[in-house]
Amino acid sequence: MNRPDTLTATIRIAAAPAEVFPYLVEPHLLIQWIGAWADLNPEPGGVFALEVGDVPVRGAFVSVEPPNRVVFTWGIPGSDTLPAGSSTVEILLKADGDETVVELFHHDLPADQLPQHEAGWTSFLDKLRQAASS
Amino acid sequence: MSDVQATRPNGGDGGSGPDAVLRALADPQRRQMLQLVRNNELAAGQIATHFAITQQAVSQHLRVLERAGLLSERREGARRFYALRPESLEPVRTVLADLWPDALLRLKHVVEQGKNQKKEERMTR
Repeated sequence: MNRPDTLTATIRIAAAPAEVFPYLVEPHLLIQWIGAWADLNPEPGGVFALEVGDVPVRGAFVSVEPPNRVVFTWGIPGSDTLPAGSSTVEILLKADGDETVVELFHHDLPADQLPQHEAGWTSFLDKLRQAASS
Repeated sequence: MSDVQATRPNGGDGGSGPDAVLRALADPQRRQMLQLVRNNELAAGQIATHFAITQQAVSQHLRVLERAGLLSERREGARRFYALRPESLEPVRTVLADLWPDALLRLKHVVEQGKNQKKEERMTR
């Protein structure tokens, strides 16, 4: 069956891309909208580390193009299903008048993989959902 | 099998959707059963030969998986055949698919609030 391995999400923000961009790459601004703790080094190969709930998310920046685009890898250390750095998140900021259209793509998700010998993926999703709804 | 009892989808917590899928996947033996029927359907008895638990316990696990929508069941006389429904893992993706829109909504709020605060600071200066 045809199963897209990319999730997409989009939103419109009443601010210019240059005003939104710091929220994607500066730890104290990033954790205002996702995660409780972050360590970010926004340059290609730089660390992307985030705690969402008590789930560690680990990856690296792939591309940092202020104020329009940032790409980083995303995964969970020790997970067979979604190892650290295994999937990729791409965020595009497009100016539209005075506003910004944010497009987020989460690529390379293990869509057709079953969790095998670990509950990591399941518990990650569970915790992520709790964190997201709190 | 006490853990089968504990996860039996009776009462209000059964059904399908992300919660039922996550609960069904939380058990290592059930994940193993899904692996077995991933590419071809198997009879309940064939599945049971892979596990050191009673056939009755295996049947209960299969029922949990079926009610969560992870397995399809086909009856042939007295035999029941099970196969994976790959589309049923969609709800698991849904959890991540929910995370990002929620997060972006918060991003919108913090950016726009931050902007308004700056504006007010300028005006009061």
